[in-house]
Amino acid sequence: MLARVRRAPPRYWLVLVAAVLLIGLPTVVTSFQSSQWNLVLIFTIAIMGLNVLVGYSGQISLGHGAFMALGAYTTAILIARYHVNYLVTIPIAGLVTGAIGFLLGIPALRLSALYLALATFALAVVTPSLIKRPEQLTGGVQGIGLVPQEPPQFAAAAFSTVTGGTQMTSEQWLYYLSLAIAVLLFWVAWNMIRHRPGRAMRAVRDGEVAAAAFGINVAGYKTLAFGMSAFYAGVAGSLYGLATTYVSPDTFPVALSFQLLVGAVLGGLASTVGPLLGGMFVYWLPIVSSQTISDQSWIPEQISSVFVKAGPAVTYGALLILIMIFAPNGVVGLITSGYGALRKRLRGAGERGTGQMPPDPQTG
Amino acid sequence: MQEFLQQVVSGIASGGIFASLALALVLIYNAMGLVNFAQGEMAMFATFVAYALIENGMSYWIALPLALVLAFAGGVLIQRVVIRPVERAPVLTLVIVTLGLATLINGLAGFVFGYIPRSFPSPFSVQTVSVLGALISFRDLGVIAVSALVLVLIYLLLQRTTLGLAMRAAAHNPDASRLLGVRVSWMLALGWGLASAVGALSGIMVAPILLLEPNMMQTIIIYAFAAAVLGGIESPLGAVVGGLIVGITVNLAGAYLVGGDLQLAVAFLIIVAVLVIKPNGLFGRPSVRRV
Amino acid sequence: MELLELEEVHAGYGPTQVLHGVSMKMAEGEIISLLGANGAGKTTTLRAICGGVRWDGAIKLSGRSLHRMSTEDIVRSGLAHVPEGRGILTDLTVEENLRLGEHLRRDRDQVRKDYVRVFEYFPVLRERRRLSASTLSGGEQQMLALARALLMRPRLMLLDEPSLGLAPLVVRAIFEIIRDINRADGVGVLLVEQNARLALELSTHSYVLEVGRVAVAGLSSELKGNDSVRRSYLGY
Repeated sequence: MLARVRRAPPRYWLVLVAAVLLIGLPTVVTSFQSSQWNLVLIFTIAIMGLNVLVGYSGQISLGHGAFMALGAYTTAILIARYHVNYLVTIPIAGLVTGAIGFLLGIPALRLSALYLALATFALAVVTPSLIKRPEQLTGGVQGIGLVPQEPPQFAAAAFSTVTGGTQMTSEQWLYYLSLAIAVLLFWVAWNMIRHRPGRAMRAVRDGEVAAAAFGINVAGYKTLAFGMSAFYAGVAGSLYGLATTYVSPDTFPVALSFQLLVGAVLGGLASTVGPLLGGMFVYWLPIVSSQTISDQSWIPEQISSVFVKAGPAVTYGALLILIMIFAPNGVVGLITSGYGALRKRLRGAGERGTGQMPPDPQTG
Repeated sequence: MQEFLQQVVSGIASGGIFASLALALVLIYNAMGLVNFAQGEMAMFATFVAYALIENGMSYWIALPLALVLAFAGGVLIQRVVIRPVERAPVLTLVIVTLGLATLINGLAGFVFGYIPRSFPSPFSVQTVSVLGALISFRDLGVIAVSALVLVLIYLLLQRTTLGLAMRAAAHNPDASRLLGVRVSWMLALGWGLASAVGALSGIMVAPILLLEPNMMQTIIIYAFAAAVLGGIESPLGAVVGGLIVGITVNLAGAYLVGGDLQLAVAFLIIVAVLVIKPNGLFGRPSVRRV
Repeated sequence: MELLELEEVHAGYGPTQVLHGVSMKMAEGEIISLLGANGAGKTTTLRAICGGVRWDGAIKLSGRSLHRMSTEDIVRSGLAHVPEGRGILTDLTVEENLRLGEHLRRDRDQVRKDYVRVFEYFPVLRERRRLSASTLSGGEQQMLALARALLMRPRLMLLDEPSLGLAPLVVRAIFEIIRDINRADGVGVLLVEQNARLALELSTHSYVLEVGRVAVAGLSSELKGNDSVRRSYLGY
């Protein structure tokens, strides 16, 4: 047993540490900070779905913000118009969005990656105007307001025992709710990726003709990936609506879809822990960067105000470009390749120099 | 009937604007098999540059060509700095890079020029002239004339000059073109420059109608997508015809069918319908389909 | 001065090395044939010369090193390469393909005369000049490629298997024209061929490659007469 523990690869330790930190977090930070980390988790869930789609099945969606909107509105409408219990609305939101994603996945099959990008981008741009139309249902431009959800008895009791009598707030409860759902969905994605569907999807991504020749149902797995990824976005949207207690067409601008893509790309496509890193980056980067930069007294006022005002868009845009140019495998890719290089170094550079070509490029 | 005719003419005017931006998309698609998601934002930024020039006392007819030249230079610069390092990367990578570019330019415009909508001057008056009983504004006619002029110039450049020939060759078959001494990478950069300038024109044409602000082109780019897809994304002629059809359709649908707020949804519908029913569009050549 | 000089050229694709030190020389206006079995490195040698593959060693065109030069610049310094598959731009018309051949030249009068010659050699190209190059047959595409190379007015032409997939009569005609262009323009021709008999007939000197090295080199007339070389390397 002990030997097994010792042999465990470092990533298992990382997962353990991350789990302890994530579970313990709300007991040490404020309720407001819990709500911020709740949004991190929500982004993580959406990015997990996008990661399945882009990283594993090789399709692309620039419209995941639209799927989140669908999930959020499903929850908001069910709660506000039909008084459904909010916990029940979460899976419903996921299923409704997933079903629509699955249906959209069918025409998407016929499209090349480029056209798919184009169509989903258009979807993201159109969504706000589509939401505004059925005013009876969606509240039009006004949107729908929700009441904060109170923590259930057992959770409140457990929380106050651990913290020594502190009352659990709605934000802290929603954080745990998102955490539980994120873990569950992570487990689902992790299992799918390691088993037959994951292998099939990767085969499809790396070459559809070859995959079809091996008897893989290319169309089936591509639509499955689309549906699954929409399901994740729908759940994330639902939790987002609950967290912000207010949904309106402007909650889901095109920029949201970009943000999710940035997160997926930044964390590293086709990596399992990437989405969490991506979620953290996407949420914290604009907040932290504008704070730190305006706090630095040595940076001239004019320059720092440039950075703060230019805001997230410039940072996201620049980051996307830089990552794609210098680290197309994302942060996780950088770390693993760095770790691999380090291990090789430690083992000795004996295997070097097998290539016979002198490193003298003739043409770029 | 007269009102219908008016709607059609103003549809043609919008169509000219969409066609310019769609043509920009087609130029870059032909150069490297890529849809440039930053095309609209590049146009928006160039329009701001034109605005700044006019604000500083320059006459419209000097500011316009100057802005186009600057847009051209900007397009070349973007290709050299941002696109060239990922030129050989998979198309997904390229798409993400152009999205990054779109976000970056949008943010920069917001920072430099702010988010307050500004009215942009038009050299054509909004007064109307009666054609066959329909009242048609000089602005619409001016937009149509300028768009048509530019489209003809682009056509002549690509089809009738050696430079245009080299650009087409570099786009279609870079390896074979290199063996003929064509500087492929620079041709691609010129393609970006040209696309940037043509796109900028659409921004400058549309700004007097929409008010200038960083998100101005966000809807126009969707119409341009619809136009390019409808025409067949690799066909310059298709971009023009597609632009006109989209312009007229959207205008008429907005006036008689769905209302102005869902015009964008009509464009979206056109995109989806074309992609599902006839992915090569009206003028595109059928490509080999996999699986 | 030699027109082309290769010294100990190593080249390959990624980890696979194809050329293991190829050296060769050709004089101004000469026809050289490069022979050898499939995979011996003939095409790779041509690619190295025009900068299409990474290489190490020395390659000089008229005494000028081609090291680190881009394909475009090498071509502009007087080289025409008709690659495997002929490098026809099938999206363009026949005429546009020809125009690309001469588009860098400034001597317009001479260009006009060259067009006359090209259409004398290949009348079919004049008939089809408005058609898309994709409508041409294999032999016609080879003619177009050769015509385009002629219009480039190079000092050195690299021809990669001009006989491939063509009917014997067409091959004969094309080889005659190659000889004619060589004599009229004084252009050096480096010819890669599977058809060793024809190539030896056309060329003055020949190099035979075997797994990335020069196995035999010499006067074509001597190689043709040498039975053991013929049997062991040229297979006829």
